[in-house]
Amino acid sequence: MDPLAAGRLGRLQLVGVLSGFTAGAWLGAAEAPTKMVSLGISPVVISLAMVLGVFLARWSLPALLRGTAAVGADVRQAPHLVVWAVLAGCLWAVANTLTIFAIKDIGLSIAFPLWNANSLLGILWGALFFGELRGAGRARQLGVLGGALVMCVGAALLAFASSTQAPAGHPARGVVAALAAGALWGTMYIPYRKAYLTGMNPLSFVAFFTIGELGMMSALALGDRGGPAVLLAELGRARDVLFWLLLGGFVWVVGDLFQQYAAKYIGISRGIPLSNTNQLWGLAWGLLVFGELRGGTGTTYAQVVGGSLLMALGAAGIALASASEAEHRQWQESAAREGARYGVDPAYVRAALAGESAAPAQRRTWLDWLLVVTATAVFIALARVARVPHLALNWAAIVGLTAALVVLLAGTGLLLWRTTRFN
Amino acid sequence: MTAGPPHPRLAAMLRDVQFWVPVAVLVVGLLVLAWIR
Repeated sequence: MDPLAAGRLGRLQLVGVLSGFTAGAWLGAAEAPTKMVSLGISPVVISLAMVLGVFLARWSLPALLRGTAAVGADVRQAPHLVVWAVLAGCLWAVANTLTIFAIKDIGLSIAFPLWNANSLLGILWGALFFGELRGAGRARQLGVLGGALVMCVGAALLAFASSTQAPAGHPARGVVAALAAGALWGTMYIPYRKAYLTGMNPLSFVAFFTIGELGMMSALALGDRGGPAVLLAELGRARDVLFWLLLGGFVWVVGDLFQQYAAKYIGISRGIPLSNTNQLWGLAWGLLVFGELRGGTGTTYAQVVGGSLLMALGAAGIALASASEAEHRQWQESAAREGARYGVDPAYVRAALAGESAAPAQRRTWLDWLLVVTATAVFIALARVARVPHLALNWAAIVGLTAALVVLLAGTGLLLWRTTRFN
Repeated sequence: MTAGPPHPRLAAMLRDVQFWVPVAVLVVGLLVLAWIR
């Protein structure tokens, strides 16, 4: 495989880094709509409703951006990757459910840093399986590993500051659940990276990912609630808040799409920690919009400022340690090995790694518009019956944070389109 | 007429450590979940 020109490699790295930061902003904002939901609904049902929103978004957005014909073309090139996409979706669903139990048992302050260690596992898998950080040089390796460690410390400080729940009576159970969630989320990036090295478009991958995600989440919810009748009745009782949960899922998908592009263009060792800046954004929404931590102690605010600075410092270190030409050649070798193992067209693999498409653009079909219209109709129908809770919200902060989200979406989206045409 | 090996992609997948590591982690995750509940 011919090495990429330095200029092209630099642009792809920039797209990947900006995608990682944009992912963090949108993934963090996904928590905001769920705060509109008052207590009284099972956490597993809340999770399932969000996944329903994720499912709608993950089929309608790719249909709008590329068309389902392009998804079909991707699957014909590398059909085996559908298995990995479904597997990754299952990993996500189990991890997400484990976090619910971890928070209940040991509180957010201990649970969050434990599962946030997924970035360290991602670095290990990236180096072990995909040639990441090989040939990168000491400074870049230190930048990524040191940056991820500093971010974990920052995450721990933020989690302690934002914790409102005291640990309950099952500390060992909670620690095991949080560690298992981190292991599942860190391992979920193996399928991501494998798919993008082989050449599958992120928009195609997420469409199949969500089948595993919804299937596993439905099975877990059915098991948790004791059967379909109970589950459906509970979803029916929650219909006036379903819009907020589905909206949270939709916002999450926008963030996750950028996370996929980050994993593709800068690898999982750099992409995961940058996406983990979502904790900063989640805290910003909680503090500024919902007035959380109001009246907190000086120690709490010191933890917030210190944790935020550490997370920003670690993220900056990782962003500056972009892949060198020597490291990118290792990625190309891994991609060539994958292509040869599964009989994928080398031109398809090479083009995807360079952020290009080997096939001509596909036209939208009636199926694409049907998916977009159906998803829109579901959101409108649920919005019509949605109840707006009486919460004291800071509207100036909502406008400011939403503007920041839109700027990141438009700026990174435009750069992504110009550089890769969403490939 | 010569035919290729049956299901070469399936055979490659079953020999691929990058398949078995996520499967093993998923199974462990499900076991932890069952233990917690």
